[in-house]
Amino acid sequence: MAKTQKPLQFKQPEKSYDVVIIGGGLHGLAAAYYLARYHGIRRVAVLERRYLGFGGSGRNTEMVRSNKRAHETLPFYKESLEMWDGLSAELDWNLMVQKKGLIALAHSDMELAAMRMLSDSQRRAGIKIEMLGPKELKKMVPSLDTSDKPALPIFGAQFHPEGGTVHHDAAVWGYAKGCARYGVDICVGVEVTGINVEASKVTGVETTAGRIAAAKVHVAVGGYSSEIGRMIGMNFPVTTIAMQVMTTDIMQPFLDYYVASPRLHFYTQQTLKGDLILGGPLDHFQSWNSYTTWEESVDRAMKIVEYFPDLAHVRIVRTWSGLCDCTGDSAPVMGGCGIDGLSLDIAWGYYGFKSVPASGKYSAEYIATDRMPEKIRHFGLDRFYDRRLVREIIL
Amino acid sequence: MAFLIDCPNCGVRNPYEFKFEGACKHAPDPGADMKAWCDHLFFHDNLPGFQDEWWFHTMGCREWIKVRRNIATHEIRSIEE
Repeated sequence: MAKTQKPLQFKQPEKSYDVVIIGGGLHGLAAAYYLARYHGIRRVAVLERRYLGFGGSGRNTEMVRSNKRAHETLPFYKESLEMWDGLSAELDWNLMVQKKGLIALAHSDMELAAMRMLSDSQRRAGIKIEMLGPKELKKMVPSLDTSDKPALPIFGAQFHPEGGTVHHDAAVWGYAKGCARYGVDICVGVEVTGINVEASKVTGVETTAGRIAAAKVHVAVGGYSSEIGRMIGMNFPVTTIAMQVMTTDIMQPFLDYYVASPRLHFYTQQTLKGDLILGGPLDHFQSWNSYTTWEESVDRAMKIVEYFPDLAHVRIVRTWSGLCDCTGDSAPVMGGCGIDGLSLDIAWGYYGFKSVPASGKYSAEYIATDRMPEKIRHFGLDRFYDRRLVREIIL
Repeated sequence: MAFLIDCPNCGVRNPYEFKFEGACKHAPDPGADMKAWCDHLFFHDNLPGFQDEWWFHTMGCREWIKVRRNIATHEIRSIEE
């Protein structure tokens, strides 16, 4: 019988590392991978208290896109979107990258005007964007009700051809495999309980597997960032809110694009398996609990049936939710936090998944060089004190 | 509904009837420096555990209530008008 080799093995942490990364989600694994691959720093440990991809990495709606507004963030999201293309080959693992195109519906003339303005900002940043009328839309998505029957009829849409989906679990395993190949230690079931700081310099972390010494500690914990803040006696500019996601029965392929409505705040896509993923707004209250509610399921079902009337018989079969740590200006926090050697990659809120490759790349660059890379210079924590908030208006 | 809120005016209600206004905080002195105000505006404790928070009963009595809630478990300990 052929002997199969395990693609990656989890380890117990050693006593010291060059870099310790807290959080074994996509952001942490990506940062570790780029550190090992492009900066030659291989004594890296990724610490995860639950299992790889437990948090936001496995709870998102798999959407990748760069149709944002603020000029500070557009080049970053554009690069991230481009980086997904080559990743399957680079990681030697099929991430099922599918740039199917994203359609954002407009339900009034005002919204169309706003979308044209948005499109101009995006084109200036080099992002491909087209405007669609209801007739073209009907050709692309025959099941969409473009008549005047819905309460808010469709006036037109914005088409983002490079947007699409990536399989999130495949991405987690791809990066984990990549890390293992370059000698990064992935330690699962190890919880960080404290961060050791001496004379405002990081010296290591306290964990459930003992003390680990490290000159550099990187925080990539997704929705749980405020817990790290408490360990170092700081508050972060985030509020943790849950977002609920649902999937339906499996159907024959009928929907070739990602369809979203910024106004009604729903978005949907048909996965390769055939089920629809229904995404929506964040819940309206603060929560550290991954609950799901009847109200949100009803809300999403009603919206989807309004525009896809043929789906009236389809059942919602599964719901889940993930935690988003949201800032007031819808932009992340990256870079330093006033303690030498401690770098942040937090507060991604709604946008964590699509930004994984670029945030990993630039986090690695920041950790290796101690200089804030040009593309993420607007994401520093100091922007909240210097009144340089990112003027993002799009979710 | 993730939990229920026992409104002092309306009785036990669904949280989706309310508007959540965030944790109760004390504003800095009017003469405080800019850093104190930025801290107050943008930075939050946001920790799992009990916190006092403001809820507005939009679809009920339209009154503000102060709820002490555990944001990790949604257990509610006290509700004041």
